[in-house]
Amino acid sequence: MNKSHFGLRDVILLALIGIIFGVIYFAGDFVYNAVTLLLTPLGLGAAGNDFTMGLWCMAGPLAGFMLKRPGSAFLGEFLGAAGEMFLGGQWGAANLISGAVQGVATELGFTLVGYRFYNWVTILSTTLTTTIVTFAWDWFRNGYSHFALPILLACFAIRLISMFLFCGVLVKLITRLLERAHVIPNAQV
Amino acid sequence: MEYRIHQLTFTYQEQPVLVDLELTLNSGTLYLFSGRSGSGKSTLLKILAGLLPRYGGNLHGEITGAVPGSAALMFQDPSLQFALDTPRHEIEFALENLATPPDKIPQRVADALNFCQATHLADRRLVTLSGGEQQLVALAIIVAMDSQLILLDEPFASLDHNHRAQLLARLVELKNQGKTIIIADHDLQGYRQYKPTVIAFEKGHCHVLTDQEANRRFDQADELAKPLLAHLPDENGAPLFSFDAFELTTNGATLLTIDKLKLFKDRITLLTGESGSGKTTLFKALTKLHPYVGSVTHQGQEVRTIKAAPYARQVGLVFQRASNQYLNVTVNEELELSQKQGQNPFFTPVRVQMALEKLGLAKMGERVVYSLSGGQQKKLQLLVMLMMGQATLLLDEPFAGLDNQSIDVVWQLIEQSRAVCPQTLIIISHQSAGLASHIDYRLHLADHHLTYQGEQRHES
Amino acid sequence: MNPSLQLLLVLWISFEVSFTSRLTANLVFLILAIIVLLFHHLRFRQWLWLICGPFLPALALFVTIVAYSPGHDLHFGLVLVSRIYLYVMAGATVTFTTTPLKLAQSLEQTAHLPAKFAYGTLSAVNLLPKIKQEVTQIKAAALMRGVTLHLWSPTLYFKAILVAINWSDQLAQAIESHGFVEGHPRTAAHPITVHWYDWVLLTSGIIILQVLLIAFP
Repeated sequence: MNKSHFGLRDVILLALIGIIFGVIYFAGDFVYNAVTLLLTPLGLGAAGNDFTMGLWCMAGPLAGFMLKRPGSAFLGEFLGAAGEMFLGGQWGAANLISGAVQGVATELGFTLVGYRFYNWVTILSTTLTTTIVTFAWDWFRNGYSHFALPILLACFAIRLISMFLFCGVLVKLITRLLERAHVIPNAQV
Repeated sequence: MEYRIHQLTFTYQEQPVLVDLELTLNSGTLYLFSGRSGSGKSTLLKILAGLLPRYGGNLHGEITGAVPGSAALMFQDPSLQFALDTPRHEIEFALENLATPPDKIPQRVADALNFCQATHLADRRLVTLSGGEQQLVALAIIVAMDSQLILLDEPFASLDHNHRAQLLARLVELKNQGKTIIIADHDLQGYRQYKPTVIAFEKGHCHVLTDQEANRRFDQADELAKPLLAHLPDENGAPLFSFDAFELTTNGATLLTIDKLKLFKDRITLLTGESGSGKTTLFKALTKLHPYVGSVTHQGQEVRTIKAAPYARQVGLVFQRASNQYLNVTVNEELELSQKQGQNPFFTPVRVQMALEKLGLAKMGERVVYSLSGGQQKKLQLLVMLMMGQATLLLDEPFAGLDNQSIDVVWQLIEQSRAVCPQTLIIISHQSAGLASHIDYRLHLADHHLTYQGEQRHES
Repeated sequence: MNPSLQLLLVLWISFEVSFTSRLTANLVFLILAIIVLLFHHLRFRQWLWLICGPFLPALALFVTIVAYSPGHDLHFGLVLVSRIYLYVMAGATVTFTTTPLKLAQSLEQTAHLPAKFAYGTLSAVNLLPKIKQEVTQIKAAALMRGVTLHLWSPTLYFKAILVAINWSDQLAQAIESHGFVEGHPRTAAHPITVHWYDWVLLTSGIIILQVLLIAFP
């Protein structure tokens, strides 16, 4: 993962994409709050986090599909988080840690397929690695280790679906549009 | 210092942009690259600045005299050329890049700001500066860097008269100091007094104009900018838009105030005024994209409180940048969307096909819209927005980059469509040539005020 | 404190308390962070933001742990709540007490981060107002074509990314036109120094954390 593959233009692009996504899912924040409020009395409040997790992790897989280079998924996610920290987002510097964890999680999905495929196999691979790694992180950070088993399973299932829909299906649809517009290299090439 | 360009050919995505160019540029001279968009003048600037072919394309031929780092480029979009937050920091950044000793930096920053009469802007946030102020800062950076070759790509596109004059005065002084200044502009109006050497670009070729030829071009530019004859409105019907104590501000500065004014239904109104005076911002306010103070009503309803979705079916905005209008990838997809969502009964599939042929867009269905030429994008954009059939269309420079024949075709289309489906059109256009026979009224924006122009209509 | 070392300390603390569940350590550093913030005279709105922002996620976790989990573990519930507030307050000591530019300069000079990362990210951050306008405009353009764009519409992201590609190209060219060359040596108009007390603060912070984590509940 040689960093010198990424020029100034790539860095700006990835940071911009991260910030744009942040702006778009400022509305996602609202979704998160509403879902959490609804679920809290049911004991599933923590699952609000899992519901919107897919939205928060989109920049990484998208960067991976756009630049198709080792390290791009990590950088996309991490620079987006750094951008949000600079903007004074509510999580401040803690953004950097989550960004790094999510970045590594997504990157792993691309590594597993050897950076050779950029198709549905890759989607499945990144969905799985992102779900598992971020879940493991929340096992410690958000105390998921103490959850009752049914709640834990519900959280995992919700997160998996969220990841698949946003980081999988939606990212694939966006990538397809970008490929057809010839602004990123085609997956088949 | 002399820059010599020899047998220079540049291709981008297999399309020739510059072909076998021969050109010599002297120091202490002000050059004006003239030509339509797509004629290759911007490309040559970027080659001289050392940005191309690194950012794409293939270059053959040679350029002698240009030392890397000796050329600085000022860009068309003033807001997309800074990395940092304030003018002072941005100039410091540029000097750091040149490895200027830290103890020399403060003085050079101060000198450059002073030279550009921008000292008062030094610690303001760049995003809060007007386009004109941002271009002044961009020039200050170039001055601080002490570049020998100063390149400006359509630098005045969004500037008002004062800032333009201020910038040009600074550039002339830099020229007198022995620097080479090159300005690329498609609009030659207002350059005559600075006695530039005009180099005309056309389809990838260029040649130096004689004084006579240059003067003819300046005359043409002045002719195009002459105000149109029009009549003052004398209508008593209910207005479409009605302004009352209306005020627009950007970054705290008042852009325009309208005490009382009406815009009329089913008329074509031309909106003129110098660049940077707030015409586009006014359109944005009318489409809920920019906040305003006071009141403007659309058919009696306050614009600010109207629901966005139904309002967008009533009032459409034809953006200055055609690509902002598109939502899909191919020409056919754009047409299908407008066919499906459009409410203009004139545009049956057969008539759309005919329109495409007249506009020279037939058989382009599978082309990616973003890869069309500037003119093609503009024509397709107009077609898809006419098909949408909003009762009111606000058109921001709809004819920019179109040749006269295309403009005629567009007008035919508009007239045929309006005969079936009446529409109110409000048009911003900096070129008024050929518009006189089409428009009903003319509004002019100057000194922050918007007023109808023309003579009282005499009943015959 | 030197912004880079401050960031390192905050990240270190945040990371370590994620893997431990000690209420004392959380509370001590939470109070320290609040004291630091008090010294910097935040505006009322900033305090409100810091206190209300994490309230809902903290509450949700607390309820899930205390009321619905097998252990009904009040102590662990409080650990989680204090941990979340510690993330936010400690993070704020970095973002609210230094400017993005200072942090970027410090990361370049102290942490030797390649300049393209520092200034590339910074230039994107400075475009925020423009980005907001652009997203609004994309939605409006869609409405004028009879299409409503949602959070899950590929078109919304597609159009936004097209803009990002265009802007990153122009910005990168502009920055290079201002003399920036990747990897070339640069000077610093504002040298960011690392004082001896920066190191003392960093090491003592880390040592105190270890003591609290080991010796206190």
